[in-house]
Amino acid sequence: MEKNPYDVYMRTTHRMGRIFSILTLVLLVGAPFVIGGWLGAMPDLQAAARGFLSVGLVWTVSSVVEFLVYTPMLGAGGSYLAFMTGNLINMKIPCAMNAREMVGAKTGTAENEIISTLSIATSSLVTIVILALGVMLLTPLRPVLQDPALQPAFANVVPALFGAMAYKYFRKDPKLAVIPLAVMTVLFTLAPSLTSSTSFMIIPAGAMAIGLSWLKFRRENREAGK
Amino acid sequence: MTILERLSSGTMYLICGAIVAFVAVVCVVFMARAWRAGKAIGMDTARMKRTITASATFSVLPSVGILLGVIALSGSLGIPWPWLRLSVIGALHYETQVASAAAEQLGLTLSGETMTAQAFSTIALLMSVCIMWGMILATLFGKRYLKKLGGGDRKAAPETEKKPGFGDRAMTAMFVGMVSAYIGSYLGAFISGEGLLTFRGYWTPLVTAGVAALAMAGFTWLSEKKNMAWLESFSIAGSMLLGMIAAVLAGQ
Repeated sequence: MEKNPYDVYMRTTHRMGRIFSILTLVLLVGAPFVIGGWLGAMPDLQAAARGFLSVGLVWTVSSVVEFLVYTPMLGAGGSYLAFMTGNLINMKIPCAMNAREMVGAKTGTAENEIISTLSIATSSLVTIVILALGVMLLTPLRPVLQDPALQPAFANVVPALFGAMAYKYFRKDPKLAVIPLAVMTVLFTLAPSLTSSTSFMIIPAGAMAIGLSWLKFRRENREAGK
Repeated sequence: MTILERLSSGTMYLICGAIVAFVAVVCVVFMARAWRAGKAIGMDTARMKRTITASATFSVLPSVGILLGVIALSGSLGIPWPWLRLSVIGALHYETQVASAAAEQLGLTLSGETMTAQAFSTIALLMSVCIMWGMILATLFGKRYLKKLGGGDRKAAPETEKKPGFGDRAMTAMFVGMVSAYIGSYLGAFISGEGLLTFRGYWTPLVTAGVAALAMAGFTWLSEKKNMAWLESFSIAGSMLLGMIAAVLAGQ
């Protein structure tokens, strides 16, 4: 008996999100079999299972962490779309956070839900359009995009993104950033091989920052209560 | 017809294009619904428009980077499959790794010369299976998880009625942690990448991040102090572009 338009919206969002996710899943997992049938060579399931054990388990753990960490950031509509369209860390999450920040939406509010969904949907559509255009222009564009002089630019998209985000977030609370940044720098300095696992190092770094932020929050609340 | 020619044939474009089109329609549906719901709960349409503009400009450069991933994989998997993978569900840093691992299990290296029809269908299956868990978890537990957190199903209420909680700070802190991990990795790679504390490691990411951060400082100053608020929508994309130009100049 919900009449609030936002409640109705949320209920439908979950229902549609689930249906579309299942359909996307069926299409994506089914496609290799359809293509295999057309090529006359079905997937080698044993080799796929061995491959899954060698790399898939790592990505499964990573997916669980991504689900736990990013779902609250993105809200319902944003989460379904982001998990369907991928490229979370290098695009969707910073994009949604940037939009949220810009309009001042607060976590868990209806406004945050709407802004995140608009942001992730727009970002996904831009990627789809650019990739489609790029694929159409692949022959003429290939020499330009593969010019050796430009390679460092495209190899450093993620550092460029995180450099810009670093200024944006560190200036909000420089004290909060000092400890996680120092600890991460020391860790990566002592064990440079960790660089290949940076996406996993987000978890201890995030936990540390959240812990410090919680301590500060509790202290401020205690002082305000006095 | 070679296997690579078949992998870039019209049939492959049709299969992959249909899935990309399906996901594009899903995005449009979610976007239209969110817009209507935003208006229904009294959100300012100018803010929603700003969200769309900022997200579009933000996504252009990373998308061009993702296009390079398509080009990189097209040499071994043809064009349509990498196009599908990187348009839907995939991630730039993930695809090559998983495709290589699958090829390895088949006793191959990831290259067009050694590719066979069965190797392709096996690699394609593994690429799909390894990264589908986020979607499965969202389908099975998304609603319950958000309800438990008290976030997703909260009633539409004006901001002023809510007590400031820890949620926002936690999100910002999570992001501070994420950025710290990446910046720390660039610093560590430079300091010890070529031997412990030698300061001779790979420095282009550090320079790129540094220039992007400085550019961001410049954009923030202009938008906050010089009444150029319109710049805000382009600040991340502009800073990234300047950072990437610095990477080209560093030329490593």
